[in-house]
Amino acid sequence: MNKTRLARLGDTIIASVKEVVGRGKVKKGEVVYCVVVRARMPRARSDGSEVRFDDNAAVIINKQGEPIGTRIMGPVCHELRRRKMVKVLSLAEHVA
Amino acid sequence: MRLEKCWFCSSTIYPGHGIQFVRNDAKIFRFCRSKCHKNFKMKRNPRKVKWTKAYRKLHGKELNKDATFELERRRNRPERYDRNVVQNTIKAMKKIEEIRLKREEKFWESRMKVKKENRADLEELKQNIHLVKAPVALQEDPTLTLPKKLEKVKVKVEMRQAGETHAMEE
Repeated sequence: MNKTRLARLGDTIIASVKEVVGRGKVKKGEVVYCVVVRARMPRARSDGSEVRFDDNAAVIINKQGEPIGTRIMGPVCHELRRRKMVKVLSLAEHVA
Repeated sequence: MRLEKCWFCSSTIYPGHGIQFVRNDAKIFRFCRSKCHKNFKMKRNPRKVKWTKAYRKLHGKELNKDATFELERRRNRPERYDRNVVQNTIKAMKKIEEIRLKREEKFWESRMKVKKENRADLEELKQNIHLVKAPVALQEDPTLTLPKKLEKVKVKVEMRQAGETHAMEE
């Protein structure tokens, strides 16, 4: 990951887990890879329009791009298709 | 490519324009320009904002229920490309557009027409025009005609001087 770049919709980032709810696969303080699926910052689409989501959200994935979790809440962005994150897209409720 | 409708003002959004907002319940709001987007962020209800189509249709300012509107439905099933179908569809779209515009014009005309209460007033004005303007003046100067629409006619009431009448009597 390039440290000087800023992550946008669809980018993969390295993050550290700050808060854990319940007993999950991930522990607090772990360093994980995740992909941004929703962002408040509008992102331009190829047809010229812009997309904006209601919040910022990311899905924790492993190095191969598959999600660690079993469920994904809320809509995800289309940009994942280009990044070939097929598993994330299939788990998502809605692809916007 | 799809032409969407702006959620706020109901105008068409052409490709390359506007912003799409996806809410967390997966409802998508499309806006044609930042004006509509900003109004949405202010939590304004388009049904209460006077320049939107939603307001105008709700308050009877524009054609509301018509068969031509039903023809413009959102169809999600992709059709197999057939040249004849496409040609006929384009022709039909143009025709329907024409018909819809004519109907909207008629609706507007009937809205702007003189109402029955005003008609009675116009009749009264025609009969008693001599109280307002001298009939000789109307004959001499053809530009002085009756107002077509019921405008506010300023009536100058001249008070007869008391001195003159006394003089006449004597």
